[in-house]
Amino acid sequence: MAEVQVQDKSEKGGKVRSKKQSTRVDMTPMVDLNFLMLMFFMFTTTFSKPNVMDLGLPAKPKKDAPPPQRTEIDLTNSISLIIGKDNRIFYHQTDQAGLNENTLQETTYDKEGITKVIEQAKRRAKDVKKFTVIIKPTDDAVYKNFVDILDQMTITNSQQYGVTDIKPWEKVIYEKKVGVAKPAVPAQ
Amino acid sequence: MARVKPKRHGVVTDMTAMCDVTFLLLTFFIMTTQFKKPDVEQIKPPSSVSEKLLPDANLMTINITKDGKFYFAAVENSKERSELLDKMGAKYGVQFSNEDKIAFVKTPAIGVPMNQLKGFLKLPEDQRKNVITKGVPLDSTNKQLIDWVSASLEINPEYKLAIKGDGATNYPKVKNLFEGLRDIEYYKFWLITTQETNK
Repeated sequence: MAEVQVQDKSEKGGKVRSKKQSTRVDMTPMVDLNFLMLMFFMFTTTFSKPNVMDLGLPAKPKKDAPPPQRTEIDLTNSISLIIGKDNRIFYHQTDQAGLNENTLQETTYDKEGITKVIEQAKRRAKDVKKFTVIIKPTDDAVYKNFVDILDQMTITNSQQYGVTDIKPWEKVIYEKKVGVAKPAVPAQ
Repeated sequence: MARVKPKRHGVVTDMTAMCDVTFLLLTFFIMTTQFKKPDVEQIKPPSSVSEKLLPDANLMTINITKDGKFYFAAVENSKERSELLDKMGAKYGVQFSNEDKIAFVKTPAIGVPMNQLKGFLKLPEDQRKNVITKGVPLDSTNKQLIDWVSASLEINPEYKLAIKGDGATNYPKVKNLFEGLRDIEYYKFWLITTQETNK
């Protein structure tokens, strides 16, 4: 007990006083309880908020708008990441003509893999300001892979990235690489 | 030999002040806590390095389960919720009674197509959990999920959208959703993730 009542033994001065009842209430259990509840509420508030990441999608081109002019893209300024099945990821920096089973390379999702690949590509880029990462998830990819890659964009500080569909010529090589001959699943 | 006991002093700690402080803090935390709403289905969002926390803005949430079912959770505002139900009812030709609206306001998230929604809302609350739902449909011909979003935005354009997807969801499902959102020219939203722990 926090409070130990000490009886005053002052019985001087002959008057018999009515014994005063102490009005003090022992607050200790109340404080205990308060603290307990406080802890509970503190933890629930901090843990219930999930993290979020921003995602901005590009606007769809208007149907009646003229197609954008073809621009010459320096291949070193961009890297294409193809998110495949079973948590596999491939990358290349070539165009249709240059892409084959050797130029489409595989890497991993961890720090030693994809982060290094992006950083190296960035260093080699002729114009770092224009360096763009093109993310191409296949239909075999899972949502987690997609988020992982978006995460990598944050880690490698790549401001410019785009998400697009895999091109048919890339798909052919990709399928050769993962060794499937199954027909493309129509997106539904 | 009688031991002389030292006179005990009263150990008086005045707890009142402490009690006051704890109460003050307690009140603060009680006021600010928002309890996590029970999930319709177990969803494990993927992890990310993002440290941004989900803002408290007027939030609608789309849940995507592992097998690609969509659940739509409208904003927590009973007036706007019943407005939303009216709008969707008008669009799909379903009449909702006041009881339906009350039930809809109380439902955390819906995962049934419009034509089953009335029946779903008629069920008593404790039975709704047991109903095996197919999720809000979203495919090339039936974009009800997108309609929910756009109807909500018509009521209040300030609404924000958060997407909570399971890590194992197939990407085409998610892509469909993104494409649908692009169709209604809604480009900015949040993906709910969990804190990265292993790196």
